[in-house]
Amino acid sequence: MLNDEAAPTAADAAQPALAARGLGMRFRGPDGEVALFDGLDLTIRSGESVAILGASGSGKSTLLGLLAGLEQPSRGRVWADGQELTALDEDGRAAARAGRIGFVFQAFHLLTGLSALENVRLALELAAQGGDSEAAAHALERVGLGHRLHHPPERLSGGEQQRVAIARALVTGPRLLMADEPTGNLDDTTGAQVAGLLFELNRAERTTLVVATHDPYVAERCETVYRFRDGVLSR
Amino acid sequence: MSPGAPGPLSRRLTAWRLAVRFLGRDLAAGRLGILAAALVVAVAAVTAVGWLGDRVEAATASRAAELIAADRLVRTDEPAPEAWLAAARERGLAAVRTMTFPTVVFVDGRSQLASVKAVEAGYPLRGELRVAEARDAGDRAAAGRPPPGEVWVGARLLDLLDAELGATLEVGRSSYPARRLVTAEPDRGGGFGNMAPRLLMAWEDVAGSALVGAGSRVDYALLLAGPEAALQDFADWVRRADGPEAEVLTGEEAQPAIGEIVGQAERFLGLAALITVVVAAAAVLLTARHYAAAQLDRVAVMRVLGASQGRVLAVQALVLGLVALAAGAAGTALGFALHLAMVAALADVLPADLPAAGPLPALYGIGLGTLATAGFALPTLARLRHVPPMRVLRRTAGAGVLRTATPYAVAAAVIAALMAWRAGDPALAAVVLGATGGTLAALAGAAYAAVRLAGWLRARTGSRLLWLTGPSRRPAATVVQVVAVGVGLMALLLLSTVRQDLLDAWQAGIPADAPDTFLIDVAPADVAALRAFIAEELDLQPTFYPTVRGRLEAVDGARVQPEDFEAARTRRLVNRDLNLTWTRALPEGNTVVAGAWWGDDPGAEWSVAAGYAERLGIEVGDGLTLAIDGEPVTGTVTSLRQVAWDSFKPNFFVIAAPGLIDAYPSYLTSLRLGDAAGRILPALNERFPGVTPVDVGAILETARRIVAQGARVVELMAALTLAAGVVVLLAALRTAAAERRFEASLLRALGASRRRLEALAVAELAASGALAGLLAGLAAASAGYLAAGQLFDLAYAFPWPVVALGVAVGAVTVAGAGWLGARRDWRASPMALLRGGEG
Repeated sequence: MLNDEAAPTAADAAQPALAARGLGMRFRGPDGEVALFDGLDLTIRSGESVAILGASGSGKSTLLGLLAGLEQPSRGRVWADGQELTALDEDGRAAARAGRIGFVFQAFHLLTGLSALENVRLALELAAQGGDSEAAAHALERVGLGHRLHHPPERLSGGEQQRVAIARALVTGPRLLMADEPTGNLDDTTGAQVAGLLFELNRAERTTLVVATHDPYVAERCETVYRFRDGVLSR
Repeated sequence: MSPGAPGPLSRRLTAWRLAVRFLGRDLAAGRLGILAAALVVAVAAVTAVGWLGDRVEAATASRAAELIAADRLVRTDEPAPEAWLAAARERGLAAVRTMTFPTVVFVDGRSQLASVKAVEAGYPLRGELRVAEARDAGDRAAAGRPPPGEVWVGARLLDLLDAELGATLEVGRSSYPARRLVTAEPDRGGGFGNMAPRLLMAWEDVAGSALVGAGSRVDYALLLAGPEAALQDFADWVRRADGPEAEVLTGEEAQPAIGEIVGQAERFLGLAALITVVVAAAAVLLTARHYAAAQLDRVAVMRVLGASQGRVLAVQALVLGLVALAAGAAGTALGFALHLAMVAALADVLPADLPAAGPLPALYGIGLGTLATAGFALPTLARLRHVPPMRVLRRTAGAGVLRTATPYAVAAAVIAALMAWRAGDPALAAVVLGATGGTLAALAGAAYAAVRLAGWLRARTGSRLLWLTGPSRRPAATVVQVVAVGVGLMALLLLSTVRQDLLDAWQAGIPADAPDTFLIDVAPADVAALRAFIAEELDLQPTFYPTVRGRLEAVDGARVQPEDFEAARTRRLVNRDLNLTWTRALPEGNTVVAGAWWGDDPGAEWSVAAGYAERLGIEVGDGLTLAIDGEPVTGTVTSLRQVAWDSFKPNFFVIAAPGLIDAYPSYLTSLRLGDAAGRILPALNERFPGVTPVDVGAILETARRIVAQGARVVELMAALTLAAGVVVLLAALRTAAAERRFEASLLRALGASRRRLEALAVAELAASGALAGLLAGLAAASAGYLAAGQLFDLAYAFPWPVVALGVAVGAVTVAGAGWLGARRDWRASPMALLRGGEG
């Protein structure tokens, strides 16, 4: 599958968790087309923890989205677990994500009107792993929320909401965990706790972790740190 | 004012400029479209009814003279003598005589009951008789009446006889070619007798056709036109003159019911239109709130830049004013088109020459658009003036300014005021408001219970989390859209399917051997021969009832006058002649419910139908005086009878004990001809030309047709209510659009395919539509079921198909409209989640 010229080589480890080649993203703006970045190459090993560090508006969230197949790049190719995401249509990419890529967002993004447990169950259902309440409850217990199963998100603190989001991301046993500014909306102490949880899970499950952040404390706990500036990714 | 500060004029100009700019931008962003659509539907409903009512009212009320084709109508029970005509002409009046009677017309062995009007030259004295030379030719005012030797007919008579213009019609003993089609005659009123299609002929031809004999049921009239003083003078003279008993009537006196019926129909439709306004109000309230919430930041910036609260209010009011004007104009145009559809639907029952549409309903429509905007949207947007400038620094500042119940209270007050004005009396308005509120509340309660049940099921079922999540997570929005769509659907189902069902059930309930033909106007001398004829031809022994016409004069000596009664139907009952009979035995199908049937040797006794007695307040023991042949006949009411009116046997409001009435009767009977009609009717006409057979089936069919036409207009109103419901649905979807886009993004990010999300969205919409349809269907079916049992006493099984139809139509309507209106929301990109928090 990876026999294309531009494909990651065997030197990139047996099977990289994520690989991008010649990745570029352009937007049509009022003054014509603008390139956010172009010709990016990136390889992330399985089980590795990677930080993409950058300022507001640098495009690191967009890069994260392209790596997860949330959108098609303007050019270039992306592989996740050996499967080329850029060769798939939208529904194909959704199927590739389901259960295999977990997400944690800055704004938590929990569904109101559903309890903490139901929010976690939802991911299982979408991954076609059934709506197993026990597995969902277990995931919540792992993030320390075994006593908050039936609380609606709006009655949880910011830190608790982010932990529900982490439980939702983990419950399907994903190979890859993408976190976009996971501590951005939290105070320092809570942020440190949430970050600790992410890295602990990364170590325990050997889940590949990719974090887009501008928080240097989060970045320094990652094995690899990329800086993203003016469309250029550097280590 | 400091030098250089803007003056009031420039301030107003700035407000205008801002308003126009905001309006342009908000329209382009699709923020005001739904609000405008709701206003358009509301205005269309009200103006359509306004125009219809206006034109029909103008055609009836203001043209009372044309309704009798004269300035005065002298009603007599035999032709007015020549001396009367001479006396009228001496006074400078135009005078012509007319007679109207039912008869059977034949073409090639096919027969049809027709209502014949024979007129003298000069008819009509007022209004226009309009005719056409061919079916597809335009009509024109006729120069006169049909010349002797030919007849002019209504197109329906030819349809029913399967004949063409020019065919020779057998009328009585003579034959006449049908030369022209009558498209409109001024003095064709409503009423049972006039349901038969028209045949217009010359007065002189009647005598030679042996159409009118002793006991025939003929309405004679002398039409007069001229100066008011001369009319008055003739009226005084004719009361003292020799000749038949005369009743001199003006147009309004002759047709008292028409104005009232039109008034009632207009009031009913007006209130029906207001239901649409109520539903549209919900859409306006919803969108106004959503629109206002989107304005918070804009207004905060305006305030920071120095705009006063008054300026903010002025700009909002101007934006809304412009929307109201545009929506009012569009709604008025749509209302005009709808009223044309209503006029077309009512073609058979409305005069062909309706007066042209006036401008008043347009003004009324634009006024309503403005009032609805001011009442339903402005109170919410006016709250924006309280947005604190601090909001530009602290996002939460001013978040609560829209949290108030005032707009709802104002909207309720505006609706109540509109209803009171439309209903014309506070009691009726209260009833309508109560019924509307009750229905809405019942629907809302049931919808809320269903949503809670869905939530409970969601909590109970492990694997169906996604399917029930939408409606149960947004209970308020779901309830609003279910109620709004449900009201329109309910009205539509009730007026179309259930009504048709009830009519079918009623017809199915008529026994197979029920009479299908009445034979009326049987002269006493013919009774024995006719009885023998029927026995020989059909092997039947029907009962013959003697009948005379009489008018209720007094109850217990107190004169009975139409004005004494509130209900239009009662006034009509009092105002017309009754068919009276006398019989020794209680007629079949009648049951005595009060008092007792007379014995073998009765005195001066009456037996009265219970329903009639109740309307007029007549009780057992009351003395009743009826005028029969101009003579008062007085007796005591000794029994009240329950009458099976749908038995198709002769039934009478008032029956006299034998011996009470001493008058020359005609006889009537009813029988079933069935397939023998084609054979019997020509023979009957040959042997008994004076006898009139009345085809009950044809009359029933005509009544059914008129009901169906009226219902179609009401169905149009119900369709508008449904349209308003769909607008509410779109408004509710729009309000939750941001939330839905977020959910779609999230579910896509978590791995849901687009196809799955779309299926989910359609299923969710269909589920809420099916719920609306289920509730609407249940309500309509229950209403029909209860009406059948309690009011009409019909054998009517609970109409489950109506419920199923409601579910299907609701699901398809909501899924279709909702999907078309909001499909983009469900296609939101998962990247939106990252872009929202783009770091």
